Amino acid sequence: MGRFSRPKALPAHLAGLRGPAKSPGALLPFGDPRLDSCLGGGLALGQLHEIGAAGLDAETAALSTGFIAALLARIVPSRPVFWIGPESDLHPPGLLPYGFDPNRLVLVHPAKDVETLAAMEVTLREGVAAAVVGEVAQFDRTASRRLQLACLRHGSTAFVLRRWLHGHRTADREASVAVTRWHLTPVPSVKDGKEPGRPRWHVALTHARSGRPGEWIMEASDDATHPLRVVAALADHAPEPQRLRLAG
Amino acid sequence: MWLPHWPITRLNRSVSASPDRPLVTVEAVRGVRHLVAVGEHGEAQGLRPGQTLTDARAVCPTLVPLDADPAADEAALGRLAAWCERYTPMAGADPPDGLWLDITGCTAVFATEAELVQDLSTRLERSAILCRSAVAGTTGAAWALAHTGADRVVLPPREEKTALADLPIASLRLDAGTVAGLRRLGLRTVRDLLRIPRAQITARFGAMPVLRLDQALGAIEEAIDWPHPPIEWHERLAFAEPIGTSEDLARSLSLLAEQLCRCLAEQEKGAQRIVARFFRVDDVVPQIVVSTALPVRDPAYLTKLLREKLDTVDPGFGIEVIAMEAETVAPLKSAQAQLADVAAQGAADRLTGVVDTLTNRLGSDRVFRVVPFASHVPERAVRRVPPLPLKQPSWVDDPAAPRPIRLLHRPEEIEVIAPVPDDPPIRFRWRGASHRVRASAGPERIAAEWWRGKQSGRRPETDLIRDYYRVEDSDGARFWIFRAGLHAEDRMPRWYLHGLFG
Repeated sequence: MGRFSRPKALPAHLAGLRGPAKSPGALLPFGDPRLDSCLGGGLALGQLHEIGAAGLDAETAALSTGFIAALLARIVPSRPVFWIGPESDLHPPGLLPYGFDPNRLVLVHPAKDVETLAAMEVTLREGVAAAVVGEVAQFDRTASRRLQLACLRHGSTAFVLRRWLHGHRTADREASVAVTRWHLTPVPSVKDGKEPGRPRWHVALTHARSGRPGEWIMEASDDATHPLRVVAALADHAPEPQRLRLAG
Repeated sequence: MWLPHWPITRLNRSVSASPDRPLVTVEAVRGVRHLVAVGEHGEAQGLRPGQTLTDARAVCPTLVPLDADPAADEAALGRLAAWCERYTPMAGADPPDGLWLDITGCTAVFATEAELVQDLSTRLERSAILCRSAVAGTTGAAWALAHTGADRVVLPPREEKTALADLPIASLRLDAGTVAGLRRLGLRTVRDLLRIPRAQITARFGAMPVLRLDQALGAIEEAIDWPHPPIEWHERLAFAEPIGTSEDLARSLSLLAEQLCRCLAEQEKGAQRIVARFFRVDDVVPQIVVSTALPVRDPAYLTKLLREKLDTVDPGFGIEVIAMEAETVAPLKSAQAQLADVAAQGAADRLTGVVDTLTNRLGSDRVFRVVPFASHVPERAVRRVPPLPLKQPSWVDDPAAPRPIRLLHRPEEIEVIAPVPDDPPIRFRWRGASHRVRASAGPERIAAEWWRGKQSGRRPETDLIRDYYRVEDSDGARFWIFRAGLHAEDRMPRWYLHGLFG
């Protein structure tokens, strides 16, 4: 490229970096205005999302897996889902209650976080998967930016599931550039006699680009289109004016 | 090809020896140490294999005895054979001290067989390896000539009989006992043996002498166990000057891939496993292996996969020959691009691309799909299968028997407080944390599969009857725990945690 042609080519180059203008409204609504309004209409597809959990579940990743499975079930069901992580304890029959078809799963077991992130990027770049889920412990800003870029350019959705191996918990959490960050905590279910009822989660949306954080109690439901149901809204960091009017 | 004194040659390359301090290898037989191999220098000093070490010391007090290591000798021989694959794809070791090279039709680079042998012998001598080689139409004749005839003979076809006639019987690869027996009868040369009626030899010495005779004279084909059995799909590229830069290597790989794919296309085949061998100037042969989920014959694609692994190849002082083989091939119809299929085909190709890239990067056992398997035992209810080709088995979700979303590789024992005989626990302790059970469902009884593994002694306890409970602790976390076995008079059954629900 000649030196003088650069100014003309730059905007096109920048546009290329931003990726093709994928339908900007590709959203996955939860079907409840209390939640969707915080997300600007629903979970943005073709972007990077980060999901973590508290306490025991940060190691076992059972809750977060259920939550992701419920979402995955509704993202381009004709396309495969790559589940990438060093632990091989994901049990596909357990995904069925969330409406997820295990035939879509391609499981990948790298040995290290670095390999997991690299494998995620390779997969996202081909744009063939409906979504890519990666289980990682360490996740820095650079890695997240690469994944986000790969999502934007090629249209797959990525979920990073923060998971520590048993006894290897590390404290640091460098902020990623994920468009949403979620934090899950288990909540005792409503008992069905002596038996446990439907699983419930305390879902905290701690970061939402183009939205606002919020906290809810959610429950799995039988509704095929919206498998997660908001039971109660705990906090909605709604804009100031509205609150003033309510106080008014 | 015969490598006389191979063990000593091998050791000489690592241990320095001089004519007056000859190396020998020794082996203890019934407490007495005997010489096994003696080098050139040792022979000159009057040492012979089979002597006891004490005798040998008397003859030559300066000798350096080392323990014989036949395994290492054989391994080194194997490496040398691999190195020889630069001349022909069919090169193998002939333990203890020989090499076979099938150079039929391999004289493309060297004008004649004699020149090939000359080149090979010179190279070996340059690296201080003694060798005697002979080229003949039969394995037996080549062996006989290499061991007893002149060095670097090339025997014209169908002259085995005249060439071998005057050679001693020992050149027929017979064991020492047979040779001694034949000698006692006054049979010294192959000619003598040929005069005797075959039936008499067989009656007296078994089938071996006649068999070896036939093999040497070409009446019977002899099969050699090549380390890399000849493969139809084989391409090689030899360079006038050794190459070493990664660009050169990458270009050569794409050239070879193109040639290989052209051959594959002619027969409508695709490769699933490709091996590229890099013959270095020294005797190291690094190789890279790529495998693909589906058969392919797209040179650009193969080159891409091979290139990813190219940085694992250390070119050393240069690479002289690159050989590429398609080890596994499968039928592959030529693609018929139909308009309707193009989009679907594109997606399928990209999926194959991802799977192959990941497989070659991480290993073939690290990328897979899962299919259900008819077993009640939870850890056996799922089977791993290769990610491609796609299968669509049906999964059955039984609401009465829910399965956890995370299943531990092996159940972990937990400490419980549980009412007897078959109530779920009230409390349990797992990984150092205590959990109070708030709600529970079950039991779901899963019995052992009695038809499995009964022979192998005592079964592990978890293989008995298991009573599974789904429990929720006070935080709302859900676990899948089971009691192994039933309550008995003398012992409490153990409890295990096997999985977690979302």
